[in-house]
Amino acid sequence: MTSKENLEEKVDEERRCFLRRATATVGGVGLAASTLPFISYWLPSTETEASGNPVQVDLTPLQPTQQLTIVWRGRPIWVIRRTPEMLATLPKLNDDLRDPFSNEDQQPPYAKNLYRSIKPEFFVAVGICTHLGCIPTYRPDVGGVSPSWLGGFYCPCHGSLYDLAGRVYKGVPAPKNLEIPPYDYLSDNMIIVGVDQGQKT
Amino acid sequence: MKKNKLFTWITARFPLNEFSAKHLTHYFAPRNFNFWYYFGSFSLLVLAIQIITGIWLAMDYTPTAEGAFASVQYIMRDVHYGWLIRFLHTTGASAFFVVVYLHMYRGLIYGSYQKPRELLWLIGMLIYVTLLLEAFTGYVLPWGQMSYWGAQVITSFASAIPWIGKYIVVWLRGDYVVSGVTLHRFFALHVVGVPLVLLFLVFIHLVALHYVGSNNPDGINTDHSRASDETIPFHPFYTVKDLMGAVVFLIVFFSIVFFGPDMNGFFLEPENYVPANSLQTPEHIAPVWYMTPFYAILRAIPNKFLGLAAMAAAIALMFVMPWLDRSPVRSIRYKGMYSKMAICVFVISFVGLGYIGIEPVSELRTVLAQFFALGYFGFFLLMPFYTRFETVKALPEQLTG
Amino acid sequence: MKYFFILILFFFNTAWAALPTVELEKAHVNIHDKKSIERGAKYFATICMACHTMEYMRYDKIAHDAGVVYERMPVQVTTWPFGVKPPDLSLEINHRGADWVYTYLHSFYTDPSRPTGVNNLILPNTAMSGILTSFQGVQILLPETEWHHSDFGSGYEWYDLLDLQSHGAMTPEQFDAMVSDVVNFLAYASNPYQIEQEKMGVFVLIFLVLFFILAFLLKQSYWREIKRKQRK
Repeated sequence: MTSKENLEEKVDEERRCFLRRATATVGGVGLAASTLPFISYWLPSTETEASGNPVQVDLTPLQPTQQLTIVWRGRPIWVIRRTPEMLATLPKLNDDLRDPFSNEDQQPPYAKNLYRSIKPEFFVAVGICTHLGCIPTYRPDVGGVSPSWLGGFYCPCHGSLYDLAGRVYKGVPAPKNLEIPPYDYLSDNMIIVGVDQGQKT
Repeated sequence: MKKNKLFTWITARFPLNEFSAKHLTHYFAPRNFNFWYYFGSFSLLVLAIQIITGIWLAMDYTPTAEGAFASVQYIMRDVHYGWLIRFLHTTGASAFFVVVYLHMYRGLIYGSYQKPRELLWLIGMLIYVTLLLEAFTGYVLPWGQMSYWGAQVITSFASAIPWIGKYIVVWLRGDYVVSGVTLHRFFALHVVGVPLVLLFLVFIHLVALHYVGSNNPDGINTDHSRASDETIPFHPFYTVKDLMGAVVFLIVFFSIVFFGPDMNGFFLEPENYVPANSLQTPEHIAPVWYMTPFYAILRAIPNKFLGLAAMAAAIALMFVMPWLDRSPVRSIRYKGMYSKMAICVFVISFVGLGYIGIEPVSELRTVLAQFFALGYFGFFLLMPFYTRFETVKALPEQLTG
Repeated sequence: MKYFFILILFFFNTAWAALPTVELEKAHVNIHDKKSIERGAKYFATICMACHTMEYMRYDKIAHDAGVVYERMPVQVTTWPFGVKPPDLSLEINHRGADWVYTYLHSFYTDPSRPTGVNNLILPNTAMSGILTSFQGVQILLPETEWHHSDFGSGYEWYDLLDLQSHGAMTPEQFDAMVSDVVNFLAYASNPYQIEQEKMGVFVLIFLVLFFILAFLLKQSYWREIKRKQRK
């Protein structure tokens, strides 16, 4: 083997090394990009998105302390008409709650208040436990869940507790307050779920 | 290095190195593979595309008579990139047959079915038949007019079997006509049953190939267990070559997917955009292009039983080809004049039959189809004679080119 | 397109031997012409939807494209004047082809023997009513002696066989434009993903061509060694 051939082979090897890397990189980018359609495929389809259109709820038939469940985007949405007595329990619980001032982003800004609602009387929330997705039960019965129970929500799956504004108690598995969906008042007795306050439909 | 540690941990428990050595770096292939040798690896690529896109399509497809057609439109219109995944799958179906036909043609001209590769060829033929079955069951799923009437016609084939034929047809369909019941079982076969068989067959096809080694355009023996002037390790030489080929294939493939997935009615037939209607047959029905040569043979013979028998024989003859060829050489390069002419006749007949199978029936076309069918069968049935009595060229000592 | 032609030929041979083969006029579909598609959607929502459905296209989307109020679209049709359910048009262009639809909509003529009072050149005995007559005007089928070839070397065009007796609400130019818009909209409705498809295709192909250059160079860098050995 001549030295010229040796040199040739050495140059070849360097070239290959570079090209191997370049091909692997570009090919890798291509492969990664080609996964995108397959990933997007799993997103809710246009039809599902359309079925997530806002839902109107008439509040007239709702009696004090009553609960109404409607479905928006396949999830249960609660509307509860709270009495002044029920609202009066809310300020007393600060020490027992994980997030009494609703600092976590679990509600739209217009529901970031003591009552976690636009109007204190009507509580609107997504009825899904923030722990593992079960549906908590509405327990307005004072002393019902524990002797000191002031009313709220109790999740049967793993025993998470929420107060009447959907705020989670300390010492239970659920990490966050119940989610408040975007909603707005169309008139005094009519709300629309799925549209932010003031936003045009 | 951590990676090395993991690697040693694995290799102590799994023959990774031995495997890659045996099948890649120390599997020695003839150095003179040409254009025709790309189509085996393309087939594997298409198989992968079909399996992945197929899994994704099955996620949103509804295998019922009421829901099937609408669910395909749902995938096309409402699911994100559903149209892309589906066009990949429909184009892949036709592409599969393009590459498999070219792969088979390669075997044909270079004598890759001859000793010691008879079993390799037989497994390959089984793959081809399984693929026809997979394509047929898949074609029914969109539940358009062509899907429906294609299923109706092809399941009716069984009725040509004497005495028990009509019972078999009903058994196949699970109903007195093709219906939602048929659709549902075809769906199960298409997404689970047939693909499992296909994967198994592809696996043993490769096992057999690596046991006997690849043939080459000269059709002379080479030793795949050691490097020589004639053979080179599969990796890196053929991996980089096949990678380059695969990119060219993908360029063609994606040009169709993005700019003409209908292929003027060859890949997706216009009539299949109309939902299945069991009370009205479309004016002109023809199978998809890859089945038309056999369909043309069927139509060329004016007798139900004989027509079907001829069609079955057309496929069966390909199976026994290793025993029909009596030539002392493998490759067309060294075979005699007769063999070369026979291949020409075969190609013209096959393409001609394929064309006639697409077109509606006419008297002239029936005569032509009979003529081409004669060419097709002649190629196989006369093979034992023309391969034996022709003068062949002397084989080279070493691989050429 | 050839396929449709065969279909039509076939149809003629069996159903209407008296009429010659009519060439399909080019529809010149342009799915990028958004304005035309919107106009077409409006025609569709206000005229065609009196009888036809478009099941696989979201009606709210048609309403949006057409700029009409969803609630006012006539989508709940259940009875048709002549008893036959008109075909759903979601996939009409994929099924028949744009040229066919374009020619079909042009080639209605008066035929008192039909319950609808009109017949069609390329779909003889069509069940569709002469709803377009009010726009296009009244056409009659000329006697065979007056047929003439407008173009050399091709068959008859639809206008070689028909004669416009009286104008409708539109001039022929306006009517052509309207039919073009409708066909454009139908083409869009058959393949609503097509613009995205073509755009994506360009990117993918450019990427693959670049990747090919790398793959080619990589292959060359290895195979140079084999070629060198062979030279010796």
